[in-house]
Amino acid sequence: MTSVAPGRALVVGYGNTLRSDDGVGRVVAERLADDPRLDGADVRAVHQLTPELAEDASAACVLVLVDASVEVPPGSVLVETLGSGAGMGAATSHHVGADELVALAHELWGSAPPVYVVRVGVESMGVGDRLSPAIEDAVPIAMDAVVALVAEHGHA
Amino acid sequence: MSQTIVIDPVTRIEGHSKITIQLDDRGEVVDAHFHVTQFRGFERITQGRPVHEMPALMARICGICPVSHLIASAKAVDDIMAVEPTPTGADLRRIINLGQIVQSNALSFFHLSSPDLLFGFDADPAIRNIIGVARANPQLAMDGIGLRKWGQQIIEWLGGKRIHPEGIVPGGVAFQLTPEVRDRILAGVPEAIAAVDRAIAWYKTDMLRWEEEASTFGNFRSAFMGLVDRNGNVDHYDGWLRVVDADGKFLADRVDPKLFNDYIGEAVEPWSYLKTTYWKPMGYPDGLYRVGPLARLNVAEKTGTPRADEELEKFRWRVGRIASSSFHYHYARLIDTLNAIERIEELLRGPDILSTHVRSVAGINRNEGIGVSEAPRGTLMHHYKVDDDGIVQWVNLVIATGHNNAAMNRAVLQVARHHVKADRLVEPMLNRVEAVIRCYDPCLSCSTHALGQMALRVQLLGPDGTVLDELVR
Repeated sequence: MTSVAPGRALVVGYGNTLRSDDGVGRVVAERLADDPRLDGADVRAVHQLTPELAEDASAACVLVLVDASVEVPPGSVLVETLGSGAGMGAATSHHVGADELVALAHELWGSAPPVYVVRVGVESMGVGDRLSPAIEDAVPIAMDAVVALVAEHGHA
Repeated sequence: MSQTIVIDPVTRIEGHSKITIQLDDRGEVVDAHFHVTQFRGFERITQGRPVHEMPALMARICGICPVSHLIASAKAVDDIMAVEPTPTGADLRRIINLGQIVQSNALSFFHLSSPDLLFGFDADPAIRNIIGVARANPQLAMDGIGLRKWGQQIIEWLGGKRIHPEGIVPGGVAFQLTPEVRDRILAGVPEAIAAVDRAIAWYKTDMLRWEEEASTFGNFRSAFMGLVDRNGNVDHYDGWLRVVDADGKFLADRVDPKLFNDYIGEAVEPWSYLKTTYWKPMGYPDGLYRVGPLARLNVAEKTGTPRADEELEKFRWRVGRIASSSFHYHYARLIDTLNAIERIEELLRGPDILSTHVRSVAGINRNEGIGVSEAPRGTLMHHYKVDDDGIVQWVNLVIATGHNNAAMNRAVLQVARHHVKADRLVEPMLNRVEAVIRCYDPCLSCSTHALGQMALRVQLLGPDGTVLDELVR
């Protein structure tokens, strides 16, 4: 019952848009949704990663996740590669981490694509519905990083 | 010397809580409490807001069951506007509510509880999770993920968003249903039913392993409450309140839900932020009753859909007409899910489901309104008072987990008495005390979760608060 056409790129930006910069992943995904550079890719903005994404992830040619990070300097963008099929450790329920999502895809649907996590360093996670100026400036950089990753793997 | 065991936090439930178990001088369990340690304050912070904002605000109470609060809130505002939703609007509300029940029941059974049932309560916590299930029984894991996805898609397609949808509004719904969406939902029905069928078959085969747990997990006589339709069958959206006792005798029937205050009282205990409701005619604390999937099956004549009724007949043959053990919430939850799926199909095939008349419009015509519906975890009540301009003056929420609070405390006490050994702190005891809480699938209304990743801390305290023993997981 997957809704991602096999071989297409899947981009998922996630976070809480009511917690200021925590929503940067969703902002990036929302702006990429109409970006012609990602024509043919499936771009989603969600609150959090859930097990239901695993099936779609398994069908994708590449999975690019966009998330906020407190471990990256504010306004900086870091691209990490996640090992396929790794990360079966953490016990989870309705929320999963990136590694568990990949593990579920691998375990249940037999395949997991290359996975990248684009992390945007954040400044404020307080109550608020907009990004800090420095983080807003990082959004186009993160968008470019996503486009480059998708282009590298192709998504036609 | 009396002692207290503290389990903090309780894992794999929706929210934050802890459990304390009080031991007497001989080391025997004398009392136990399920503490809800988080505070929300929605009843207060919504005061002063225009009442038409209430459904959207109330949806923010929970990221798991926002639809339940949307439904009850919209019905309360309907009442204030003295307006009936259009028939199609009401049916679309029913469908989205049933989608919510499917996805939430799937979360509870497959994601949160099936690891215990599959691996056993004494298995290594490192494998007792959905990823462990994926390795040991991939079909079970895929069925859980698929059911939850289907339920969430219904919410998204009809409500606009999966989490905190906006499609349910006072007077009906915001969006009319298109033939494409109807057909997409219907296309998923056969697989959803097949998934629940497989889970029920697996559960029935496996349930004999858990006879001891079924006899000690909240196995006591109590009343049950739920909504029923004109035929006395399960109704998840509307109808009348029915309350039965442990023998199935009616304590109340055909009660207008708007009169719930005449029958239900609320008590406050100093050790928890969660209110405890009770059946007024029996007083507090004797007026303990249960709500949710098990209660829905116990109070109703039938579910009202063919396949679920077949399973209900088998359920009653196995566990009795009135199931008294809270362990059977798991089994009941699967039948409740099957009933919800069948009901969704039935409603989608209705002749007027694509009607453009989905919302009634009105202004402020009353200063008080009550909305009641069945949430996945049980009966949910919203009660508002507004001024003549529709500004909210007072709010009271009576939630399913509050109805079950007294029963959960009693269940914890029963399990603790059966399993707690005062001279040591061991995993099996912890697992079972936590697991009995999960039977009720309590929702403590947190909107962000990292469940299963929390540490489990158990402390054995002396009467002066000194830590005598500690176990950390």
